[in-house]
Amino acid sequence: MYSVCTRTVVAAVLLFIFFTNANAQPKRNEPPASAQVFAGIEVGSKGVKMTIVEAGKNEVKNGNLRTVKDTSVNTDFISFTQPTYQATLNGLSKLYEEAVTVYRVEPGHVFTAISSGVKIQADKESKNNWIEQLINAFRNNIKEPGRKVTVVDVVEEARLSHLGIIPDARRYNTFLIDIGSGNTKGGYFPKGNTKDLKLFQLTWGTKSTLNAADKRLDGDKSLSNYNRQLERVLAAAETSEIEYAVNQSGAYPMSDNVAFSGGIAWSLATLMYPELIDNSVVPVNYEELVKFNERILNSHATLSDYYITRTMVENSADTAVVAREVKRVNQVFDQRSLLAGTGLMLKIMRQFAGVQERKNFFLVKNGQVGWISAYVNQNIRK
Amino acid sequence: MKNSNSLLLLLVSLLLVLVSGVLLWTWGFRVYNKNEVNTVAAASAPRDSAGIAAAIRDSLQKVYKATITSLDAHIDSTLYGTDSLRTQLTAKLEAFFRLKAEINVLLKNRGPGNDIPLAKEKIIALQQKLEELRNRNVDVENENKKLSALLEQLNSAGKNNAGLNARKTGFENTLAGSSTGNFIASDMRLSAVMVEAEKERETTLAQQTEKLVGSFVVKNAAGQFNNTEVMVVVLQPDGRVLKSSAWESGIFNTPEGKKIYSYKLSFDYSRGEAKKLLFSLSADKYQKGNYTMQVYHNGAVIGRMSKTLS
Repeated sequence: MYSVCTRTVVAAVLLFIFFTNANAQPKRNEPPASAQVFAGIEVGSKGVKMTIVEAGKNEVKNGNLRTVKDTSVNTDFISFTQPTYQATLNGLSKLYEEAVTVYRVEPGHVFTAISSGVKIQADKESKNNWIEQLINAFRNNIKEPGRKVTVVDVVEEARLSHLGIIPDARRYNTFLIDIGSGNTKGGYFPKGNTKDLKLFQLTWGTKSTLNAADKRLDGDKSLSNYNRQLERVLAAAETSEIEYAVNQSGAYPMSDNVAFSGGIAWSLATLMYPELIDNSVVPVNYEELVKFNERILNSHATLSDYYITRTMVENSADTAVVAREVKRVNQVFDQRSLLAGTGLMLKIMRQFAGVQERKNFFLVKNGQVGWISAYVNQNIRK
Repeated sequence: MKNSNSLLLLLVSLLLVLVSGVLLWTWGFRVYNKNEVNTVAAASAPRDSAGIAAAIRDSLQKVYKATITSLDAHIDSTLYGTDSLRTQLTAKLEAFFRLKAEINVLLKNRGPGNDIPLAKEKIIALQQKLEELRNRNVDVENENKKLSALLEQLNSAGKNNAGLNARKTGFENTLAGSSTGNFIASDMRLSAVMVEAEKERETTLAQQTEKLVGSFVVKNAAGQFNNTEVMVVVLQPDGRVLKSSAWESGIFNTPEGKKIYSYKLSFDYSRGEAKKLLFSLSADKYQKGNYTMQVYHNGAVIGRMSKTLS
């Protein structure tokens, strides 16, 4: 009797453990049988990003891709130190493995590239051998000696971003400006074809603007002093570089739309228009952004996920999704970074915000997948 | 078999005795320890601790009262003087009143277990919040002054030199709209369209609909506008706004709060002109039922109509 009971209990425990473990196994993301899946993996200045896109068999020809997954690993490759190099190599190899094993992307459908930001910094510091070494080590890690890893130049990256973000209907009247952490780049197509891009570049980005204001604080670390110094930094940037760059680009008379991408555009779009959380792009105007900049400065507490979800238009969006995204924004951008990025955007916008001819401004949220999805698209068609 | 059963019973009894012993020892140790702690606490406490606590509580009560009085003096002007920021202020005031209630509870509790340091912390937090509100009030007043000055400047500039180098201001539309009244929309149409043999044809069936095409005529007897905007809101049968593309839809402000628009139309307008405006919206799927089209200018409804798809 005793041994029967013991056996029953042991069997029940074993069965329980078996089923618990079986349910705990990660589920594989399998695409529908009719869809084709592609991956783009990019080594950027701050980290390695991966975008998984899928398309129906007929949609591939039209370049109609849907983003399935967008993920990144922070590695700070452009520090060019041994730990950041190793972290980048590990990140790159890990994401490649994930694409092939978890998402079941054929190796031939995985496109790998090094972004222009990395190339520019490597050129500046004569560290191009670090890029070569990274590529070789990556090929070795994944046991694909012939793998193509393209180093993309800045014009090509801006061109691909435009193709990946802006819809065809607005291709030739939209000026795309990507505000990054260390610089700003973008452009438009002035000649009615997608080969010739007029490049627009600034040496100012969100982080570099913040750093410049920080350097001027001189002991008084208060927010009001930071804001005062930030205004000075931005005023100097406007007169010394932004006005000239915009005029020189010739974009004012050629563009009806000005679209901003980059981290600051994503965060502003999320915080300003939570109701449009599902939209990949949202319209904005100069006055709204000026007002919002004041809100960042004076009422930053109202940008919490709690407050935003309780003040948004009722039934306009899933509040849980909004809360999650707002939390992400607040983790990435603190009050001072938001002020720096918004201030820089306002200075650029000012060059286009006219009375006689008003431009349509847009904030693009998914800019980070822009050029890589266009790059995937371009390679699929080859 | 019998022997083994007796042995098992003996083992269980021994185990129970052992567990009881451990429990008794733990209980005894805890009682002894507690007494010792109480004795030490009693020895180190000053004789008139109750008096000091009362004095601290009274002084805190004074600070608290002063804070609340100061708050009351500012509350009305802050609340009623800043329409656009009322929501933010309400949130701050909610936090105030929450803190106020918590402090009241803490200060009312005159028993030995009351938490004076916590009350002190909360009063400090309350004072900080009051300071924030004061700053906000000053900011709002300054902003009002700035905007009034800007309005005056723009008005005089507009009178003296209409249209001269007007780039980089961006307030023209709001000014023109508010000073010259609103449009009226008439002749409103909303049609469901299907494509058959490469030709567009109107339909009343939701299942066949490929896009909605709308049109209306706007008229304004009073004003002339450069690049003014009207927003079109198309509500689906489930009450949600129909959004054709992320690039077309957005948010605008009305006296009732923020609203999502389906489409925005920008145009120039000459006084008295009957301007016809058209738009089209495409969705993946169209629901059966009543669609409502509303047209807004400067946040006010200037036209409304319905269309049913079966």
